[in-house]
Amino acid sequence: MSITTEVRPEPSVPPRSARGRVPGLSADRSVRSLLLVAALLPTAALVFLTYQMVKTAWPAVIFNGVSFFTTKTFTIGNLYATGTEVHHGYTAAKGASYGILPLVFGTLVSSFIAVTLAVPVSVGGAILLAERIPVRLQGVLGTFLELLAGIPSVVFGLWGVYTFGPVLSRTVFKWIAALHIPWFGGPAGAGQGLLTASLVLAVMIVPIIAATTRELVRSVPSISKEGAVALGLTSSETVRIVTIPFIRTGVVAASILGLARALGETIAVLIISGNFLNAFPHSIFDPFSTMASTIAAFLDSALTDSTGMAVHSLAEVGLVLLVITLVANLAGRMLTRRFSGAGLPVGRGV
Amino acid sequence: MIDTPAQVESRPTAPSVPAPEVPRQPRPERHPEEGTPDPVFRVKDLSFYYGPHQALRDVSIDIGAHEITAFIGPSGCGKTTFIRCLNRMNDLIPGARVEGEIDFEGRPLYGADIRAIDIRRRIGMVFQKPNPFPKSIYDNIALTPRRNGVKKSELDGLVEESLRRASLWDEVKDKLQQSAFSLSGGQQQRLCIARAIAVRPDVILMDEPCSALDPVATFRIEELMAELKGDYTIVIVTHNMQQAARVSDRTAFFTVDVSDQGRVGVLVEIGETSNIFTSPEDQRTEDYITGRFG
Repeated sequence: MSITTEVRPEPSVPPRSARGRVPGLSADRSVRSLLLVAALLPTAALVFLTYQMVKTAWPAVIFNGVSFFTTKTFTIGNLYATGTEVHHGYTAAKGASYGILPLVFGTLVSSFIAVTLAVPVSVGGAILLAERIPVRLQGVLGTFLELLAGIPSVVFGLWGVYTFGPVLSRTVFKWIAALHIPWFGGPAGAGQGLLTASLVLAVMIVPIIAATTRELVRSVPSISKEGAVALGLTSSETVRIVTIPFIRTGVVAASILGLARALGETIAVLIISGNFLNAFPHSIFDPFSTMASTIAAFLDSALTDSTGMAVHSLAEVGLVLLVITLVANLAGRMLTRRFSGAGLPVGRGV
Repeated sequence: MIDTPAQVESRPTAPSVPAPEVPRQPRPERHPEEGTPDPVFRVKDLSFYYGPHQALRDVSIDIGAHEITAFIGPSGCGKTTFIRCLNRMNDLIPGARVEGEIDFEGRPLYGADIRAIDIRRRIGMVFQKPNPFPKSIYDNIALTPRRNGVKKSELDGLVEESLRRASLWDEVKDKLQQSAFSLSGGQQQRLCIARAIAVRPDVILMDEPCSALDPVATFRIEELMAELKGDYTIVIVTHNMQQAARVSDRTAFFTVDVSDQGRVGVLVEIGETSNIFTSPEDQRTEDYITGRFG
């Protein structure tokens, strides 16, 4: 008996612990659960945030009903007047009316203009940066792009309201207004308004879209570009035929990121928009307001509303903004999926 | 004792390739007049530099019309660099520099009055991996001719003809509007050959066209090359010596010359493929083809 145990060779597999597990497996498990927590945290945060928003906004949802989306006047009412407004069992200050139609309009239009302007600039700039410029300059210009992304939005706001807007309104806006195109006419104003805000938003989201696009352009296989060059195509044709189809999906995703940023931008828009409430702008130069900037503008006085309905309504505005942003993201995802279907080599080997 | 200095000398450079032995006979003149009466390319003393690094030294070669010329040799010997000199693809690399002469159909390829874009329309290229455009099968073929001014009414015919010549027509004729990426690797590579043919070039350069393909697809490409050589001059770089032996009329053997100046690609010899593989003139060629290195 003892001889057999002596002769038995050393086990080549690592010794197992008492519970029959390979050592290191438990470490593996703890790392996995740690990663699982890290992965679930963003989801948990979003769920918790949404829950809190819905909870805070709920009285306003009942109080305002559909008129929240169909009326134009947004006022928290006269906080010092006697009497209250009562709807569906909920009370608000006298004269309070919460209609966000112009705010939704302002948010969507300013963000849409900003993305429309920013995408071609970003894509063009990124292709230039990644392909046409000598490598030494690429680093310098790329750094500037990243710095642009890091500028606080309040600085953009101040720059827009004191420098960019006034200069534009004295020059470019006047020329555009002189063309008398509907929606692009009328007085050019002092530079606080929809177009200035959209332009500043565009400047703010260009680095987001451009930095992503630059990486996409760099990831286009050089052998694919060489295929075009070897056929005698010019470099601009190569960009059109090879580079752009390759990066299209990613550019859509990057644009959605930029759009989300523009939709939610608060302080810069608040400074530049002119904070014009209760009506739609008549031209692209007119002051306007967005959902995000209105929340910031009203929050201070809303906290003094003893009925609490002002805060509830601002929460409802925030909830609508959240939904719009999520819908934009989902739509972007669906677009991305459609674009990457036939015709694109995403996820397919050669 | 006589050998010792040579061994000591060769050690610091740590060659992965054995230091070239003394040839059995004086190096042959690398400009053989026989075999290429009317060369498409006439290359004389070509040296190539990537910045300060020399990649090729004094390559002289004639490439005959309607022949398949194969370039073989170990990795890093400059075969690919050389073939990319022939359609000026190396122009794209910053710091790259060509010395020496390349005449293409009697005119200097790197002449001041020659545009690289015009050259590349006459000298097609097929790459190591299939690289179709991210477009439909039809557009992959039709795009360049359309841009070069081929009439719309002639495009359908040209697409069919090119695909037939690349023996791909029967496999794709019912799905011309599908993405080129829906094809298999071998089909994609034949699509790339069809794309090159559609421009009606004089020469097709193939840089290891089968290195990413399985044996069946490789066989089809080789068959195709044999069919195409009646109309085109074909130059192929290959790592596969059997492939060179199977398809080519003439074979050029390149190797790496290791010296104090570094590793430089050189042309050892060029000749009829049957001669190169049965009775090479240079010892280094024989070492390579018999598998002693590389």
